[in-house]
Amino acid sequence: MLLQLKNVFKWVNTGGQRIFLLKDINLEVEEGEFISVMGPSGSGKSTLLNVIGMLDTFDEGEYHFLDESVHTLKEKYRSNLYKEYIGFVFQSYHLLDDLTVAENLEMPLLYKKVKGSERKALVADILDRFNIVGKKDLFPSQLSGGQQQLVGVARALIASPKLILADEPTGNLNSQQSEEIMELFKKLNKEDGVTIIQVTHSEKNAAYGSRVINLLDGRKV
Amino acid sequence: MFKNYLKIAWRNLVKDKMNTSLNVIGLSVAFAVAILLGMAALFQLSFDGFHENGASIYKIVKTQQTPRGPEAGTVQPAPLAPSLEAEVPGVKRITRFLQDGALAIQGDKEIDMDIIWVDEDFFSMFSFPIIKGDGNTPLAQLSSVVLTKKAANNLFGSTDVVGKTFHLLVKGKEVPFTVSAIADDMVAETNLDFQIAGRFESHADYLDNKEQWDSQYHDVYVELEKGVSSNSFESGSRGFVDLHFKDAIEMLKRDGASADENGRYVNLELVPLADVHFTSLKNGYVSVSRSLPYLILGVAFLILFIACVNYINMSIAKSAKRLKEIGMRKTLGAQKKQLFFQFWTESLFIFLISMGIGVILSFVFVNDFKTIFNTQVSVDMLLRPSFLVGLLAMVMLITVFVGGYPAILMSRLGTIQSLKGKLQSTGNNKVRDVLMVFQFGIAIALITGTLVLWGQIDYMRNKDLGYDKEQVVSFPLNGKRNSNDVIELLREELKGNPDIVSISGADINLGLGRDGSRSSSKIGFEYKGRSVTTNFLVVDHEFVQTLGIEMVLGRNFKNASDSLGVVINEAMARELGEEDPLSAQLEISNGVHIPVLGVVKDYNFKDLDRAIEPITFYMSKEWGLSYAFAKVAPHNMASSYEALENTWKKIEPNAAFLGSFLDENVDRTFNREKTTAKMVASGSVLSIILSCMGLFAMSLLIVSQRTKEIGIRKVVGASVASITYILTKDFLKLVLLAFLIASPVAWWIMGEWLQNYAYRIELSIWFFVAAGAIAVLIALLTIGTRTIRAARVNPVKSLRTE
Repeated sequence: MLLQLKNVFKWVNTGGQRIFLLKDINLEVEEGEFISVMGPSGSGKSTLLNVIGMLDTFDEGEYHFLDESVHTLKEKYRSNLYKEYIGFVFQSYHLLDDLTVAENLEMPLLYKKVKGSERKALVADILDRFNIVGKKDLFPSQLSGGQQQLVGVARALIASPKLILADEPTGNLNSQQSEEIMELFKKLNKEDGVTIIQVTHSEKNAAYGSRVINLLDGRKV
Repeated sequence: MFKNYLKIAWRNLVKDKMNTSLNVIGLSVAFAVAILLGMAALFQLSFDGFHENGASIYKIVKTQQTPRGPEAGTVQPAPLAPSLEAEVPGVKRITRFLQDGALAIQGDKEIDMDIIWVDEDFFSMFSFPIIKGDGNTPLAQLSSVVLTKKAANNLFGSTDVVGKTFHLLVKGKEVPFTVSAIADDMVAETNLDFQIAGRFESHADYLDNKEQWDSQYHDVYVELEKGVSSNSFESGSRGFVDLHFKDAIEMLKRDGASADENGRYVNLELVPLADVHFTSLKNGYVSVSRSLPYLILGVAFLILFIACVNYINMSIAKSAKRLKEIGMRKTLGAQKKQLFFQFWTESLFIFLISMGIGVILSFVFVNDFKTIFNTQVSVDMLLRPSFLVGLLAMVMLITVFVGGYPAILMSRLGTIQSLKGKLQSTGNNKVRDVLMVFQFGIAIALITGTLVLWGQIDYMRNKDLGYDKEQVVSFPLNGKRNSNDVIELLREELKGNPDIVSISGADINLGLGRDGSRSSSKIGFEYKGRSVTTNFLVVDHEFVQTLGIEMVLGRNFKNASDSLGVVINEAMARELGEEDPLSAQLEISNGVHIPVLGVVKDYNFKDLDRAIEPITFYMSKEWGLSYAFAKVAPHNMASSYEALENTWKKIEPNAAFLGSFLDENVDRTFNREKTTAKMVASGSVLSIILSCMGLFAMSLLIVSQRTKEIGIRKVVGASVASITYILTKDFLKLVLLAFLIASPVAWWIMGEWLQNYAYRIELSIWFFVAAGAIAVLIALLTIGTRTIRAARVNPVKSLRTE
């Protein structure tokens, strides 16, 4: 088993009232799954994804990732854990405008303290794999949205994570670009065995996955 | 990793050119100013601080209680030093010290050189390194001299001259001296500088004064034994003083001087070597004050502080633009520490560049700085390793705090919030606001200070002093002839010149003349059973009319032989307390009663920092006059001045004519105020410019952050004016708050300062209102241009960018 959430609650207190963002979430994810999280706006999809990605904390419950109990870890170890095993893909790509494509790809490796020569090799590898060698010295603003998201996925993959978390990865793309990205996810899942959890609004995209989780008001339905 | 930091830092700086250049310009200027001011202050503070034995070396000051009050002097008689060494315990080494000029002759070269005449121990007491020749006892022989490297090069064209002989012109005769050693060239921060050092016993006047206790003409420095304090030396020297200054003490007693609290008339006091440069003999007492260099340092720090505040504020404001980057880096596994170092590297970058430019700027402007602020700092000082290391250390320290604070704030931001582009709290703004209030507070206080200083200087310049300062020229009677005769000769010569109204003389000048010398004279005597003190002025009979002083009672002196009476001022009349001052008879010297002939209206014969004291005019041929006063007609003043100069040249062909109008003399007395005003004014200009640069950058950022808000407001119908108001009011509030805080502080400081002046301006509220108005106006102009432009943008455009 890759990860397990047990009775996870997350809430905020507003004006004396407790508003639940996540309510009693139980979830088990096996390696090699491709899960789609669906639900209306404000149902807690992104929050759930952030909790799984350890970017956000929760107030109650347990979270086990591989053999670690995430809820007991200090922030520093948590960040070590997620930079080792998890890659993120965002709706608005979140590439750094000041860095070239190659440099954006290199950044996760820097924070993992990978050696210079090895970094070069890994970057060259992934550029090759995604067919964007020709774009390596361009800045994100010089690319189309689909190409940017391609770089975003490549960046998420470069450190060979076990899990990819994608928050509406195709939200800003047109249908053709969306299809390409979803095909890419499918291929990664099938051929490389990468576990993928994606948040999506689109039934069509959800169909690429092996399992769908529906959320409503912070609760699994 | 570090290379990566640098790369990203560089790109970020280049991307935001406006912000970066504002930061770099502001910091560079601040660094340059701080370097210059810091150098000036350190230069002052390090005077004679390099002597290894400095802690136990003192300069001897003799204080005596005269009938006119205490008097302190640093010049000593020739036998004092050897007698002290022989008779008073605790003296390790002692040297006499006489600075002089002498003509050095070597071959066909004749060069005027600065020479000091000192005792044998001089070079063991003071650390002037000997680079060639006898380093231990270079002045063992009476005919030995030490040359500095530069002097040796000038005189011989080489420094390999130990053992060689040259001549000094002593009393018109060429006397041979042998070079025993070469000293390294002088540093600028010493009061003991020389080109040649010779034995005191070889000085021309030595033989005549060898045993003369009443002829004082040189300084004495003493080095005490380990463990001997200056106090124990001072008390230990009392018996010595009583023995050797017996005659002088008797005379002081006879003249009616009153003893000090210890019942003594003459004392030897020690001034530590480190204090010598800051010592002034104020009102007859030795006083040590380092406040000026510290004031300069203070201004330097304030300016640096303002520039640093700009940097902090801009970085924090800018961080809003980088939230996405921070969040993204965090999701990619960046730790706080790594983010901190990344942002800190950017700061380090900016600071190092700014410091580099600052150093270059200070190199470029060092000469202007020297002339404006009248200081001796040199470029060499900048290049000294200790200075460079200190500078670098300072920059590092500043970078740690100033660069570190925003870096910590940014690295602490939560991942999710920063990814969403939202700032968590408003706490940062509070820090920003406090810093900006501080900044503008300093600027407003300095502007107020400038205005008050100018006001006071203007007041002093234009105040009616009770005498005619515009039309009177004074000049020192520095020739060989008898002074009274000179006055008569001048009268005689200039009788035919219709532009010269009258001529007179006195023994004390008014204001500060071109001879740079000032003095005052006071006497005390018994009047009807109580002691009365008065300033005492020896005058010529036409003094009152020449200076245009008003008579209020009685009559003035009639002619040169009308010397059996005195003229007093109103303050003196009050001091005497007589119903009819003209009835008073003053017993100025024993047994002789002198009648009061007349009373003049009070006039400011001393600086305006003092109230008008009693003064008594007295005519006496024996006591002599020191200055001539000539009243000239209001037209052709330049030619009248020339006529005076020519006549003087005719009467005293060898003496320089150092005449100047009295209003110039008065102006010269507040040179110190003018320098301070210049300094505070440049400080305030700089601080307001720097503060506004910060404000400008801030308004740029705020406007860009609020683009969407502006757009929405316009869509729902806000006018340009109301939007400008919304964008401006936050900053104006801060400036007003700064005004409210700074004004009382400035009021208090300036009030204290004005207390130094007996004649001063009122601290009217308008000084503060004006300073505040200036600050608000400049701030408005700074923010206004950008905000109005932002407010006028088509809302469709500003909304589209979001």
